[in-house]
Amino acid sequence: MTNPSVIRYCEKIICPLTARVVFQLVALNLVPSSDWCLGGEKNLPGTSMAAIGVHLGCTCACVAVYKDGRADVVANDSGDRVTPAVVGYLENEVIVGLAAKQSRVRNAANTVDNVKQILGRSCTDTQAQKHISESKCLVLEKGGKPKYEIDTGEAVKYVTPDEVAKLIFSKMKETAQSALGSDINDVVITVPFDFGEIPKRSLGEAAVAAGFNVLRMIHEPSAALLAYGIGQDVPTGKSNVLVYKLGGTSLSVTLIEVNSGIYRVLATSTYDNIGGICFTEALTDHLASEFQRSYKQDIRGNARAMMKLMNSADVAKHSLSTLGSSNCFVDSLYDGIDFDCNVSRARFELICSSLFNQCIEPIKKLLEQVEFKANDVNQVVLCGGSARIPKLQQLIKDLFPEVELLSSIPPDEVIPIGAAIEAGILLGKDNLSTDLDTLTIECSASDILVKELDDAGANRFTVLLPSGTPLPARRQHILQAPGSFSSVCLELYESAGKSNISTEYKFAQIVLKDLQTKANDVHEIVTVLTMKRDGSLHVTCTDKDSGKSEMITVDETS
Amino acid sequence: MLIEAEPEHCTAVIKGLCAASLLCQVEPVGRWFEAFIKRRNRSISASFQELEDEKESSEESEDEEFQLEEFALLKTLDPKDWKNQDHYEVLGLKNLRYRATQKQIKAAHKAMVLKHHPDKRRATGEQIAEGDNDYFTCITKANEILSDPVKRRAFNSIDPTFDNSVPSKSEGKDNFFEVFSPVFERNSRWSNKKNVPKLGDMNTSIEDVDGFYSFWYNFDSWREFSYLDEEEKEKAECRDERRWIEKQNRAARAQRKKEEMNRIRTLVDNAYNSDPRIKKFKEEEKARKEAEKKAKADARRKEQEEKERQRQAELEAVRLAKEKEEEEARQQALLLKKEKEIQKKAIKKERQRLRATCKNWNYFAENEVESFKMMEEIEKLCDRLELTSFQSLNETLSVSTKEEGKSAVEKQIQEVNAQIKREKEQEEARMRQATRAGENSGMGGGGSSSRSWSEDDLQLLIKAVNLFPAGTNARWEVIANYMNLHSSSGIKRTAKDVINKAKSLQKLDPQQKDDINKKAFDKFKKEHKAVSTSVDNAVPSERFEGPGGDTTPWTTEEQKLLEQALKTYPVNSPERWEKIAEAVPGRSKKDCMKRYKELVEMVKAKKAAQEQVLNASKTKK
Repeated sequence: MTNPSVIRYCEKIICPLTARVVFQLVALNLVPSSDWCLGGEKNLPGTSMAAIGVHLGCTCACVAVYKDGRADVVANDSGDRVTPAVVGYLENEVIVGLAAKQSRVRNAANTVDNVKQILGRSCTDTQAQKHISESKCLVLEKGGKPKYEIDTGEAVKYVTPDEVAKLIFSKMKETAQSALGSDINDVVITVPFDFGEIPKRSLGEAAVAAGFNVLRMIHEPSAALLAYGIGQDVPTGKSNVLVYKLGGTSLSVTLIEVNSGIYRVLATSTYDNIGGICFTEALTDHLASEFQRSYKQDIRGNARAMMKLMNSADVAKHSLSTLGSSNCFVDSLYDGIDFDCNVSRARFELICSSLFNQCIEPIKKLLEQVEFKANDVNQVVLCGGSARIPKLQQLIKDLFPEVELLSSIPPDEVIPIGAAIEAGILLGKDNLSTDLDTLTIECSASDILVKELDDAGANRFTVLLPSGTPLPARRQHILQAPGSFSSVCLELYESAGKSNISTEYKFAQIVLKDLQTKANDVHEIVTVLTMKRDGSLHVTCTDKDSGKSEMITVDETS
Repeated sequence: MLIEAEPEHCTAVIKGLCAASLLCQVEPVGRWFEAFIKRRNRSISASFQELEDEKESSEESEDEEFQLEEFALLKTLDPKDWKNQDHYEVLGLKNLRYRATQKQIKAAHKAMVLKHHPDKRRATGEQIAEGDNDYFTCITKANEILSDPVKRRAFNSIDPTFDNSVPSKSEGKDNFFEVFSPVFERNSRWSNKKNVPKLGDMNTSIEDVDGFYSFWYNFDSWREFSYLDEEEKEKAECRDERRWIEKQNRAARAQRKKEEMNRIRTLVDNAYNSDPRIKKFKEEEKARKEAEKKAKADARRKEQEEKERQRQAELEAVRLAKEKEEEEARQQALLLKKEKEIQKKAIKKERQRLRATCKNWNYFAENEVESFKMMEEIEKLCDRLELTSFQSLNETLSVSTKEEGKSAVEKQIQEVNAQIKREKEQEEARMRQATRAGENSGMGGGGSSSRSWSEDDLQLLIKAVNLFPAGTNARWEVIANYMNLHSSSGIKRTAKDVINKAKSLQKLDPQQKDDINKKAFDKFKKEHKAVSTSVDNAVPSERFEGPGGDTTPWTTEEQKLLEQALKTYPVNSPERWEKIAEAVPGRSKKDCMKRYKELVEMVKAKKAAQEQVLNASKTKK
């Protein structure tokens, strides 16, 4: 309580205004906390309106922040927008990111990378076994679960892949927080489409352990679509999008149907044997043979020299995506010899030509699988760092000559940006349904078409309600008929496939009679189709001028 | 362009749709997905336009609930008596009361103002009371109270419609849940915490019941009674009066608050005491405890019995085993004795046989002397030969001729002689070894790795031992190091070697020690001479601390005398050292003290060395 004498002093001597201020302060002190508020609006206690999307890949992790309606990738403390998903254990500290990757040359046995390959998998899993055989860090099976053996001198530690993932997530959290300058918890995490239940859960638990509040886990291809906002503007229309993701250690191609703003995966396939690392390895091998040619020394047996060379090749590969040629320089590569070699982009493409073929082949296979032609694909989204390679983009462009190739966002940032956008959508929504993995919804089974005549007088079918539309759905079209007609007939057809439509697919017709003929004008018929969840269709046709209307209701044949 | 209809065409459904809706798995991504799920969860089948409609209608439905109920006696209210009016009723929020939102209050006030504003009524020709006397003031006042959260809370606290009654114990005896459930429900609105636990029913678990009562016993109420304040602070004319009013009000509020807490307390007490579940739990607990106690006692008794039985069995077993062992031992001894006897008998027999045979052949000799010698040899044979060789010898003798027998016997004799000789040699060797070992132990402590210690090394050792007195950290290692550094012999010695040697040196009698000292001194002198001849005015770079370097060595006799004197004159006797010096002829007081110090040192060193060895052996183990 303020001393009364102070108040009086204020009143008399200084000025009444000050006294009032003091009184107000006292009054404020009297106001109790706000939790007694009954029946009134609930105030959300200071939620920061920002959320982040995190993509944890095999080789790299990336975080994007959604704030003020925009999603953007934030750079980490070393200024890189992408953080290598490498964790190095030193004697008395653990380092994550670029520092760990660079110190791998000296600390290979205690450096963990590609942790995503083994996360949530048992030792008997084929992919896990591949990882165990490739990892420079010893992996042992303890209690049915794989663990990394970390020997930093004092004591041998056993680290689970989950803990490694947690460290990476913590790093991403730090990165986002330092960029935003505030604490942030809400996150959307991406998972590959081929991740099973257990790896997915492990990933989620690792994120929770890092202090995140996981809003949702979404599939990487969907995130890529969301980053480009495909189907997000208007909830009508239907298109097919191919997502081509060439990551560090894996390649995945996914075909997604976007209908009414909702994404549906038609087909997907993942190849674990090809990835960006293959290009680096091919380039490294070339450089090693160059070295052998110049100095008559084979360094392939020397693990450390190869690792140095590989780091250099990695840098060269990156710069070759933008430059015509790149210089590889390694000080004291082997036996004190400095190595210097110039690689042109053409040379690089020559070296990797077979790899490029391997990268393109899956697209063709996928299209065959769903019996699509190249023209059936409306858009192609590139993601994954290696999708930057110009030759690869060229090859994909050749494959889809008519199709828009989306690569305006840097390919390795597409997925986190999509995740951040999703986080922005989910932000502030309560009662989020968490169990969305097996979400199925009703969709219309077949296209609903109307027969029209084109200018040449041939039959033409216009899709009124495409197949795969989430139900319930309503579509409104304005159809036109020549003004000279006094009656108009809408013949409605349904078609399940792409085969030619014949009269046997006709299921209804709507006739509007006694229309006023107009010499130089057209009749505008407003057609509204409404399909319920059980698949029954209701069609209303109204002539815009006269207001005459007809409607029908069609149920499915049971 | 649509096609034209034929005249006979009419609107018709030809057939049903052949494919029903499909179930598709979709990606939970994007805003349209969220919208779709939201729509589906509300289970409203419509398209997006209808979704919008739905939103509006939901707001309307909210409004429907919010129905103003005009207060019938509104116009009769006295504005002066606003404190006693029911503000909710005045605004027409009789049904909503404390659940009404701020928005609703605002709306209600607006509606009331539209209807009852003096200007409006004046327009319709009604009589309006002047100034504050019109009943419209009541509406204003009601809004003033309800729109201010603090004031509203104060009013809510003393809500006139609230039933403050607390059911007594007897009321809740028969239908406890029916009586108490609504009371708790009613009072839970005062709770500061949300999610007030429910009373539950007969099947509620003990944890929940406990949680319920602990919640209500620690009930945190926001109810306060500032509304009932007698005086209004604002009315006070001066600050003293204001303060006095404040004080009064505070006291009244505290009193009421206390009463309120008492009320809640009584309610919970009554409920707790008449709660049939608590009774049930208590009984169950009691039964359980008793059962536990019984089980424990049973277990203890059983255990004791088991122990007793086990002990008995063990004793029995031990006894049996002992008996058996004794029996066996007896049998064994008997058997052994028998065997021995048999063997003895057999040997005796064989011996006699041999003698007989030899006698038969006249000891393979021609003359008396030879036969006597042979006889002696054969007696020796008889003494030494084993049973089996006896038998074989006798066999050969029995089947062979005299000459052959002679050679066989001679051969046997030779063998026996050789054996005897061998044994003798061995004995000698052992003797020799023993003597040598004795020497060794005298020299190098009998250590297995004892190496030759040259004179120089011995000197060096003594020097080192004195240089690093007992108590030096890792003394023997340091000494060994020192030795290795300075030794001219080039032999590497370990700490163990050094300890052994030093110990043996200590064991030496003073005479030998003196010998060594003398030698050391000679050597020192020699070296010094050499040095001084080579370097003019050279200062010796080494410190020499040989014991008694400048005095004659102590003889054994002197030593004995000294020891005697030390014993006769205890530590605290006055002028001890003078007396000791007198007791030892030829030695000064200083000498005696020095010698004593040396002895003490030696004893100490000995002890330290022993400890070291002990520790070493311990660590080895």
